[in-house]
Amino acid sequence: MKVTLVSRSGREVVKGGIELEDSATVKDLQETIHARTKKYYPSRQRLTLPAKPGVSARPVVLNPKSKVLDFCEKGNSDNLTVLFKDLGPQVLYSTLFFFEYLGPLVIYPLFYYLPLYKYFGYANTERTIHPVQTYAMYYWCLHYSKRILETFFVHRFSHATSPLSNVFRNCLYYWTFGAYIAYYVNHPLYTPVSEIQWKIGFAFGLLCQVSNFYCHIILRSLRSPSGNGGYQIPKGFLFNIVTCANYTTEIYQWLGFNIATQTVAGYVFLVVATSIMTNWAMGKNRRLRKLFDGKEGRPKYPRRWLVYCCDGSWPLSDVQCLLNLCGCSVSGFSIVSSMSVQIP
Amino acid sequence: MASFLSTVKRIYLAIYNWAIFTGWLQVLVFAIKALNESGTAAVYDAVEKPLQLAQTAAILELISVGLVRSPVSATLPQIGSRLFVTWGILYSFPETRTHVLVSSLVISWSLTEIIRYSFFGMKEALGFTPSWLLWLRYSTFLLLYPTGITSEVGLIYIALPYIKASEKYCVRMPNKWNSSFDYYFASLAVLGIYVPGSPHMYTYMLGQRKKALSKLKAA
Repeated sequence: MKVTLVSRSGREVVKGGIELEDSATVKDLQETIHARTKKYYPSRQRLTLPAKPGVSARPVVLNPKSKVLDFCEKGNSDNLTVLFKDLGPQVLYSTLFFFEYLGPLVIYPLFYYLPLYKYFGYANTERTIHPVQTYAMYYWCLHYSKRILETFFVHRFSHATSPLSNVFRNCLYYWTFGAYIAYYVNHPLYTPVSEIQWKIGFAFGLLCQVSNFYCHIILRSLRSPSGNGGYQIPKGFLFNIVTCANYTTEIYQWLGFNIATQTVAGYVFLVVATSIMTNWAMGKNRRLRKLFDGKEGRPKYPRRWLVYCCDGSWPLSDVQCLLNLCGCSVSGFSIVSSMSVQIP
Repeated sequence: MASFLSTVKRIYLAIYNWAIFTGWLQVLVFAIKALNESGTAAVYDAVEKPLQLAQTAAILELISVGLVRSPVSATLPQIGSRLFVTWGILYSFPETRTHVLVSSLVISWSLTEIIRYSFFGMKEALGFTPSWLLWLRYSTFLLLYPTGITSEVGLIYIALPYIKASEKYCVRMPNKWNSSFDYYFASLAVLGIYVPGSPHMYTYMLGQRKKALSKLKAA
């Protein structure tokens, strides 16, 4: 069979098309495209079926495991036109995560160990290191080391790669916030909270980090090593209560850090990170509910709290969104379990 | 129900736009009067109240963003910079008020806004706008954006030594929340934003102009 590969502008990407065996898979097609174009390795290719005129449904993506023949129209199994999009240079997800986590891991101790504050106008200020500042540094480094180790040994990624531009964007986010928080916690004029408060903060944070690790282990076991990428309903532990228990534990872990270190910078980071993860959780929740709708023998996705105070239903009412926002800010200042409101 | 709501929306927008139009008209008239009678140093005192009112009311614009089609990326920087200059520079640092850039600022802003608000006001109240007003709306920015932006940047720059000396709005360490804010560096950061921000705003308006004027030709 012959596959004609066109770009969105109608230009033929591979002149003359590609001849394939009828038994060829999309993966074979991708490798042939790579061989013919040199530049476009498979993870850079996005192959879809051209949209039918007048139909505005989401485009059909050719997934690598399927046979090319499956995408042909009935009665026309000799020819197929495929739309090609270049996703741009790609990096492995593990590469992306490694660099974005490496920044905070290195930058924070710089503020702790090196006499950097003289460059901020504090040359003459004497510095006594409070115990909480030392523990904060250990806690922070433990957190980001854990993240790096999980990246290489625990996580199974649904997509193998991510666009290169994400490296710059994500590193900007993590590295800037890392420096911003490190600057204040290690400051020569830092004011520590009471001993009991930081002990509770770190203890709670550590508990959440351990829980978070366990959540990652559970998620890992949902995916088979062959990278099926298929979804299953997460079960067990906190997943029986919340959709994205991994995000919940991560958020509360940062809360623990902030209770212990008490900086505006840390709380700002908490609010931003919470809103990002809440957004992800809403998407995940939506996807799971759509996939597991109870029809055709599929299990029905049970009601779950979204992250910590929203019911998983969609669309969120304004009240729920407002609660979400209040939750973000209030949880920065107190433990929140009572903020849950269930909306039928 | 839907058409009732859309009528309410139209009435709100019509009243809003014409009210702000009146505010800016006042600013322009008072400014020109002061320039004629006393010169550039007197302009700020003459326009202060209507300027502050009209400029701050633009915050309501952000609510209107939900109702009107302008993208947030175009309205937010504009309103942000205007409020910063009005309250954060002119109001907070009286030493800047007598500078000649205040006159160019006030005239640039008021001319732009008079055209803009009457344009939207007519659209909401009458359902159409005369083609000469459309032309003005999408052409005067070609001159007034550069003069306005130059005035804003100039005034912020002039205020810098006063900002640094006064310690106003600054939060210093140590404090319970382990936080600090330096207004001088924040102002420098705002100046920095103008570097990518101004071309962005200008090219956005150029694009809008192309769209609007071609629609006019087609009609």
